[in-house]
Amino acid sequence: MTFSGHRLPHISREPVTILWNGRPVRGLKGDTLAATLYGQGVRVFARSRKFHEPRGLSGTFVAGHLATVDGIPHCRLDRVMTEPGQRVEMENVWPSVRFDLLNMARLLPRRMTRAGFEHPRFIPDSSFAWMPWEKLLWNIAGEANPPEFDDRPEIPGRQIECDTLVIGGGPEGLAAAKAASGTVVVVTRSPELGGMAFGKAASVALPEGVTVLTDHEVYGLFNNGRIAMAAANDPQQPGVMIEAKRVVLATGVRSVPPLVSGAALPGVLDARTALRLAAMDGVAPGNKVLVMGTYKGRAVADTLSKLGCNVLDFIDVSDVERINGRGSVSSVRVAGRNLPCDAVVHAGPWRSDPTLAFQAGADGDLRLMPGALPTHVSLQGACSEPGEAISFGRALDRDALVCPCMDVTVDEVLDLIDRGITHVEELKRRTTCGMGTCQGVPCWDYLAAVVADATGRGVEDIGHPTYRPPRAALTIGQAAGLADITEIEV
Amino acid sequence: MIAKLPKHCETVIVGAGIQGLLLAFNLAERGKTDILVLDAGYWQGGASGRNGTLVRGGFSSPEWIGLFHHSVEQWKVLSSRLRRNVMYTRRGYSIIAESDKTREMLDVAHQNQKAAGVKTEMLSERRLKKVLPAIAHRRITGAIHLQDGGTAPHHAVMKAALDVVRERGIQVHYQTAVTGIETTDGRVSAVLVGDQRVEADLTVIAAGGQSTDLAQMAGVEIEAVPFRIEAAATEPLRPLIYPALALVDRMTYLHQTARGEVVGGSELPGESAKRNLKSTAYVLPRYSKHLLEMFPQLRNVRILRQWSGYLHPAPDGGPLLGPHPDIRDLWFTSGWTYGIAGGPGAADLMAKAIVTGEIDSRMAAFSVDRFRRGKPCMEASAVIDNASAAA
Repeated sequence: MTFSGHRLPHISREPVTILWNGRPVRGLKGDTLAATLYGQGVRVFARSRKFHEPRGLSGTFVAGHLATVDGIPHCRLDRVMTEPGQRVEMENVWPSVRFDLLNMARLLPRRMTRAGFEHPRFIPDSSFAWMPWEKLLWNIAGEANPPEFDDRPEIPGRQIECDTLVIGGGPEGLAAAKAASGTVVVVTRSPELGGMAFGKAASVALPEGVTVLTDHEVYGLFNNGRIAMAAANDPQQPGVMIEAKRVVLATGVRSVPPLVSGAALPGVLDARTALRLAAMDGVAPGNKVLVMGTYKGRAVADTLSKLGCNVLDFIDVSDVERINGRGSVSSVRVAGRNLPCDAVVHAGPWRSDPTLAFQAGADGDLRLMPGALPTHVSLQGACSEPGEAISFGRALDRDALVCPCMDVTVDEVLDLIDRGITHVEELKRRTTCGMGTCQGVPCWDYLAAVVADATGRGVEDIGHPTYRPPRAALTIGQAAGLADITEIEV
Repeated sequence: MIAKLPKHCETVIVGAGIQGLLLAFNLAERGKTDILVLDAGYWQGGASGRNGTLVRGGFSSPEWIGLFHHSVEQWKVLSSRLRRNVMYTRRGYSIIAESDKTREMLDVAHQNQKAAGVKTEMLSERRLKKVLPAIAHRRITGAIHLQDGGTAPHHAVMKAALDVVRERGIQVHYQTAVTGIETTDGRVSAVLVGDQRVEADLTVIAAGGQSTDLAQMAGVEIEAVPFRIEAAATEPLRPLIYPALALVDRMTYLHQTARGEVVGGSELPGESAKRNLKSTAYVLPRYSKHLLEMFPQLRNVRILRQWSGYLHPAPDGGPLLGPHPDIRDLWFTSGWTYGIAGGPGAADLMAKAIVTGEIDSRMAAFSVDRFRRGKPCMEASAVIDNASAAA
């Protein structure tokens, strides 16, 4: 089944043309590049690191929507706005997209590429043979050509001091911002406030004096949460250093796809991304959309229907056995039956991103361990509640990917567990699970679920590797611009 | 969940990082396998999993060159000795000067390196462009290139060493913290792990930043302190920077890994020693600025990860190797700031000294009591802050 792309009629803006791998693609000004490409039926944005499998926009796995835009590698296609004449190119292909020799990686037995190309059996043992191999490996693993020499200086950073910093621009964050006294700053990664209401909520009006940073994502929390570094989505805008007396985390919850094979296929979208495509960009997630999730997910199916999407059915996510497809999703296997579709939207289980709370509270000498939140940091709304359990069907699927950025399978993790290796930090280091751009979210929840299932221990006893910065990345130019406005603790 | 430990071992090594594991391996090669290796953390959880993975044999002082040149020679044969690829790659290691003073220091270093037989080259402008085409050439006043230097990803050597040591029947236990060190009649007689007691003929502390605490457990002091530094990696790129680099004037080191990530870090002058693994807001921006000034291509490249780990600097930044002067049967391979570079060489010399009783002069220069004897090994080309080393 091919997917031709489907634009919903309720959005009309000025048309523009970009070049995708040298081919003209029409989009609308004001769309993200991801929406432009998706709207024209382009599903495969990227190739995975080792297995070279197709990846695309997902809302979950950042590696699926990285591409080179006008010579700059690893641009987030869901954050970069469409401009006429942009050259957008797929990465991790060689020598070209049309004739891509790296596709041969798909023929390799998966066991051979475990732990990257770095530990497998077939790397040369002698140091002389190793060096040319390393160069080859480097060219493959590097994924994208480095940018050209760019002699512009760093982007001077922005410094903000405030009484209350609210992280999250959804209804919960806005409520916290309204309730706070003194100077207030709200940071949201979205282009507008309101969360999944996408700017339509009347409650968006905030009191005067509240500084709103839209299109900004928090890089990390430092100094027990007293300092937040944030990145503008546009790499030409400054990084921001925010010093706050009080920090409210209102980062909400997001849907985590089930740990089954095919969950990282193009056409599998999280609820937020699908709703954003349909509501804000006028792009249907597919022509035949299946929605799966926990009970709260039904509302997502209804909203997509109201926006004009052809929603076939809603499936309880715990019944999903696998997601099928080659270049893009073609069906979902539920209770032994394949249900045809061309897009899958998952809406549950819902879980919060633990990164910032971890960074505010963690401490340790041998290992950073989660700690109680400092009194000046609080959680507001859904992110303070325990998340719903990870769904992985009836039994663990050995072919499912624990970490789609680095192509780590359940099989690889289970083999290590069989060898007695169950410490999550060691599993991370042996597999590289969670060391890609997603920063272990949600991969380390998957990892904990696999260890718990295989060892019979409770998932809460397993823990997670360290949630290190960045949560969302600063560029070197943005980070360098913060050098003059941060003080060294002596 | 601590394993049942033996009641007696010829040698107990505290610390299962690169120093401890390679020492166990070298002892086994010399016929000693009655060894127990204990580690409080997890595999690669200490400095052996958090470092910059840079390897060089060339420094400026004869003492440092002696030890580290020997270590590079050991690195060259480590894959064949372990019969596993430790991924040591001799891509070269360039030491960069951006001031006249540093350039003069490099001239001296170059002479000392040549005298010691290190493959070293003072790069001409033309050669610099060939070796480091991407670097901001106009900032550079001089550069030494060490042909046998390079990088060795720590995960590869840690995996190889752990597997081989276990194959030889040596017990290695992680998450098994030493809780006490027993001394009897002026010697260390046993280590305690909870309620278990392991008698040892010899105890070797190879525990990175934890070594200071362990020395105190034995009632002695060492002149090195745990000192947190931070590093960062960028998102992957195809080859841009081939050799490993030390930017001496910036106290910055970096290289590009075989995965394509540019990995490095900066030390900040005047920062004080801290004892936790938290990242800070102030190191990364300064490191990024150094990186941007030297490699402007990286301006729009994103940071993939930042983390911290411990150095264990002594007042001269050099390691502490060999017996402690105040108590018998307690040895150290601690005080490391260039532990990946020096590990294989130090492990070889330590094992030789333990087995034969002869302490090699290259190791003796870094004896634990050298400060007391007024013989520190100062080093000008190391990317470490002497103020922090003295902290």
